[in-house]
Order: sequence, then structure tokens, then C-alpha cells
Amino acid sequence: MNHEIMKKKKKKNDNGEEQQFEFCEVCKLNHNQGRRHIYFPAHKSSLSALLTRLQSKLSDVKPFLKTPMLLPAEHAQQNRLWCVFCNRDVIELDTPFACGKAIEHLASGEHYKRVKGFLWKHGGGTHRADSFRVVEGDFKKWEKKCKAMKTEAAKAEAVGASNNIHNELNADYLNSFHENNTNSLDFNITNGVVVPLQSYTNEKVQVSCSVPYSASEAGSTSYDMRGRMQMVDAQCLKNSTGFMDNHLSSSSHVDYLSNGSVQPGVKVFHGDSRSLNSMNLQKISYSSKEAIGGNVHTGATPPWFNSAEENEIMQKPELSNFVNSKAGKSSKLNPKRVGAAWAERRKLELELERRGEVITKDYDANWLPNFGGVWQSGTRRKSRKEFQVENKKSLEFDSQSESFVPLQPYISKRMRRDKSE
Amino acid sequence: MEYLLPTLREKREVDSLIRDTIDKVLVLRFGLSSDSVCLQLDDLYKSAKDVSRFATVALVDVDSPEIQVYLKYFDITFVPSTIFFFNAHHMKMDSGSADHTKWIGTFQKKQDFVDVVEAIYRGAMKGKLIVSCPLPPERIPKFELLYKNV
Repeated sequence: MNHEIMKKKKKKNDNGEEQQFEFCEVCKLNHNQGRRHIYFPAHKSSLSALLTRLQSKLSDVKPFLKTPMLLPAEHAQQNRLWCVFCNRDVIELDTPFACGKAIEHLASGEHYKRVKGFLWKHGGGTHRADSFRVVEGDFKKWEKKCKAMKTEAAKAEAVGASNNIHNELNADYLNSFHENNTNSLDFNITNGVVVPLQSYTNEKVQVSCSVPYSASEAGSTSYDMRGRMQMVDAQCLKNSTGFMDNHLSSSSHVDYLSNGSVQPGVKVFHGDSRSLNSMNLQKISYSSKEAIGGNVHTGATPPWFNSAEENEIMQKPELSNFVNSKAGKSSKLNPKRVGAAWAERRKLELELERRGEVITKDYDANWLPNFGGVWQSGTRRKSRKEFQVENKKSLEFDSQSESFVPLQPYISKRMRRDKSE
Repeated sequence: MEYLLPTLREKREVDSLIRDTIDKVLVLRFGLSSDSVCLQLDDLYKSAKDVSRFATVALVDVDSPEIQVYLKYFDITFVPSTIFFFNAHHMKMDSGSADHTKWIGTFQKKQDFVDVVEAIYRGAMKGKLIVSCPLPPERIPKFELLYKNV
């Protein structure tokens, strides 16, 4: 993604269209509409999409604001937040806490200024600026909590050694991960506990390992994004092999890791936990590991053979769709074009003829096309009628047939009507 | 050369062609197979292929007895005369002469013919029954129109 900031040339003219071209970062296009651009619906929709995305990322950070958790350095590399307002990455360096840098950045005054500027420039509503930053009060609370945690961490040094061993093992794999652009939680990190997954397997599995890490538990309980929990849970299950599926208890994870035999499942294991948005792997359904009607391994027939009948049924609708698409094409022809009504009618007639249905020829040998006469004035129908009249006259003259109309007394309409009644 | 364009001698053939050419310009050339000017015009079978995507060209033999009613109807006195139809509607073109209903004479260049047909097509698609001629006046054949031999 190229987030180059284009230089804007502001030139105020009376006529908005004569303004210089500017680059709208939200819509990613150049326009010369000036300030009008932000009110266009296209811009509004792109802006709302952008802000929604940003809000979702920020909501990932928010839980950590309430309950800070400690973050090992190597996991921090995957946590970064792209701040749209400041147009820069906020990488989690030099901070022991999850999303520490992000929170600091969001709380900073410079960021707040930029947020307001952005919203003004793009018309997002400057009153919403607070939702994109961390208020000072919250930030201070967070800092306090961080300090408290640090002191606690200092106490638990004994377990720190074993923790380091595992971190070393994982570091090699983790360094090869791609960076995600979400600051997703890394709640599998526990301080001094060799049970990374405890927090998010909480739902499904009882924590058998007796590691009373208050923060992690607190984090999991105060965790209000259940969807994410399930996702990560699902991911950890999916990415692990079948072998792992059976080892849902955290104690097995401990064994797994402590053995040092890190399988590929583990690698993805750790990575997935923090990247819920960008990881493309999704568990389809946990319960599907039971054999439902057989699968490739059990030797069932492939579904495309079963649906052979369905395909036949599908063909006819497809055909009709094809015909409809053709009809749709004709509807794209200008309906105001000359003879459009005639064309449509004729097409239908031809279609019927092609299908072999009976054609009722509703035009006789004397049919004449619509023709605007050279010398006549008036409508074309008139010209045709005049011609026909003239024709008939000439015919009559030729044949010299005189139809003798008997003279009759005049009968008024009223009299005729009365008579018919 | 005319044999490469369909030649119509019967009224019902003309009728069916007019009625069945849908969403394409129908160029009906009324001419004589013996006339040199007509033959020159009929050389335009080459351009018939160019415009085939939006036009159909056909030749109508003026000598045929059934066609006489059309001659009267369209008031054709000069040959060759070209009449344009679109969706069974007659298209007029204002080429600077008195008669807008048809094109009298030949075309100087193949491209002229293509331009004229294109102008007709564009106008028809927009819903106009009369279009103006895209050619400069020097390339439009001149003739004198007589009203009832006056």
C-alpha cells in the first residue's frame, strides 16, 4: 500500500471546477472539486468504510487499555497499528506491554491534533475525534496499571528462566512471520507461565495447569470480544494437526512446548493468535471433524457425482438466464431509438417463428413501410394514408367501377340511435 | 458487381427485408441493373461489409412490376435512389437538397457512404427520424427535383 502524501495545492477560485487537483487520501483519487468533494456520496462511503475499519482496530486495543498485559519482545513484532491520521506505523518497540506503543500514540496530543485535522478535512465530524484517541484520564490509569504489573513481574523471576528457554525456541519461527496490520491481542503470552494458550482456550477447556496468573485470567474474563476468542480458538484448532485437536488442555500445550519439538503447528499457532483479521485461515466448523456421511478418507463418493441430477435441473434456469441476459442486452439499446417498439415486437415474432410456432401474418400484401413523403406535410401516417387513398382512387378510376349509392333521406344520429334502442 | 448484394424484385421480399432488419440500418438501393451509375454505386459491396455490423444493404430492381408501387410511394424518379430504414421506419437525411427522403445519386468515395450510413445509425439510435448529412456539399450529387413534371 502506498501511503504517499501528495502535496495539495490550495487555490481558491470562484469557480470550483477551476481549482487545482487535489489528492483525496480517503478515496485515493485526484479531484478538482475542492471542498465540495467531501460531501459527495462516494467520498462519504469510502470515509465511513475507512473509519469503521479503524474503529475495529482500535477496539482491539481498547481492552488492553483497561487491563494491561505483558508482551514478550518477539511477539511484539507482529503487533503494529497503522495510524491513518498520522500516516505512520506504530510499532510495538521498547514496551513490555501489549499495544503499549499504540496506546501511547493514541493518547498523544499530536495524534489528537491530527485526528481533528483529518476529520475536518474529510468531513467525518470533528465531534467524533474522541473515539479515535485515548483520553488522558484513561491513559493515566493505564500507566498506573502498567507500573503495578511491572512490580509484580519483578517478583516472579523464578519462572522467568524457563520462559526464556521457550521464547528462544519460538523466536526463530516467529521472526519469519509476516507482519499483520492489526494490533490484535497476543493473549497467549503469560508472564512466567509456560502455558501460552491458557487465556483463549479458557472457553473450551478447563485450565488444568495451576498457574494463577491473575492478569491473564482477568484479561480473559474481561474479554468482551467473544467472537475473537472463538476465532482464535478455532484457528488454533485448525492449524494444529489432528494430534493437537485432542490436546485441548493447556497442560498438553505445556508438554508440547517443553519438549522442544516444535511442530509446524506451533509456529502458526502463535502467529494466529494475534492476527485475526489478516489470517485467511478460518475454521469451517469444529464439529466437522466427526465423519458426516463420509469424506475422502472414508471413501465416500464425491459430491459432484451426487449432484448430477441437480445439474440437469440447473441447466434450464441457466438457459433462461442466458435468454434473459440477451433480452437484457437489448434493453440496453436506447429505448428511444427509432422504431424501438416495432423492433421489440418484431423480435418476439421472430423468436416465435424460430421456435416453430404458428405465425399469424398480420400484414397483408399492401403493407407499406412508414414513409415520410417528399411533398406532403403532416405526419408520416398521414402520408401513408394519403398514398393509399390516392392508390385506391387510381384503381377505381382504372377499373371504372361506379358504385351507385342509392339516395336516402337524411337520418340524424339521434334518430338512428333511438331506432337501435 | 451487384450480384454480391441481394437483389429484390418482389414486393414481399422488400417487405420482409424491411420488417426483419431489426436495430440495423437498411439501405435500399433502387436502381437498374443496366445503368452505369447504378453499377458504379453497386461497387459499394465492399463497403457493405464494413458497415455490416450496423447496416444491411440491398438492391431493388426498379424495372420489376411489383416494385412500382414502391416507386410511387417513395416518389422515386431518379435512379439510383437510396432509401434508409431503421426498424421499419423511414429515415430522412438532410443533405442540402430539396428531397430529404432519399439519397439520389452515387457516392464519390466509399468512405462517404460509410459516413452517411453511420450518421443515419447514430441518429436512429438517438431517436431522431431525420439526420443531417455529414458530407460537405461538394460531394453531394446535385439534381433537380421536378414536381409532377413541372
